[in-house]
Amino acid sequence: MAVRTDPEGTEKVSLFDLADFTDAEVLEIGCGDGRLTWRYADKAARVTAIDAFEEAIARAERSLPDGLRETVRFQHIAFEEFAARTDADAFDYTILSWSLC
Amino acid sequence: MLRPSGHLLEIHPAREVPFVLVRTDGKVVFAEADPGFDYDDDLEKAETAVAATLDRGLFVLERTRRFELRTHASSVEELLDHFAVTEAYDPEEKDETMQRFRDAMYERAQAALDRPATSRELIYVEPARMSRLTPVSRPGGSGRG
Repeated sequence: MAVRTDPEGTEKVSLFDLADFTDAEVLEIGCGDGRLTWRYADKAARVTAIDAFEEAIARAERSLPDGLRETVRFQHIAFEEFAARTDADAFDYTILSWSLC
Repeated sequence: MLRPSGHLLEIHPAREVPFVLVRTDGKVVFAEADPGFDYDDDLEKAETAVAATLDRGLFVLERTRRFELRTHASSVEELLDHFAVTEAYDPEEKDETMQRFRDAMYERAQAALDRPATSRELIYVEPARMSRLTPVSRPGGSGRG
């Protein structure tokens, strides 16, 4: 058996209870290997998923489903640098994905 | 970066110790807290950061949900290999004593997995919190959600 994370979908249920991603512009900070990204990205208009760890981003890009290639853009970048390059009012949702600790 | 009608979603581990379950033939036969859980300092940083954001009047906390993130594996080796990959991005030094307790706990978990059974799985349960915060500039606004 391969390792399965959250097959019960409790994280996804909580996420959709707190947010409506329909056609939303989403920034995910600390996306890691994209585990959470896949859960909501098909609902969003566009997802920008960033992480400061290069290997995590490389892994996320390798496992990006074909159906999400137009929607999801991964970036290996620290948040501070990303923020300095990004316009105000760019996103409907910002997700701090297990990234404050 | 966030639109005035937007929301901030913040996810971090809850202040509850994660635990390990072994389930064989649909029944829980082993349940122990993770003695290697040592994220108190990190959790405090996360909670302090959120509190500071609220105190500065930038956001209001609208809702919080608690949930459990469960990772399922067929063996201790498989679970620890998985964590070795996911935690490799941000390695933290583990206290040796905690690590010994953790190793002993996983030995007991593996022993439970090794008992005769038709189906068996190891589950790591991590209690977590997810919060929705909204920019103060739009209290009661007509934003998403």
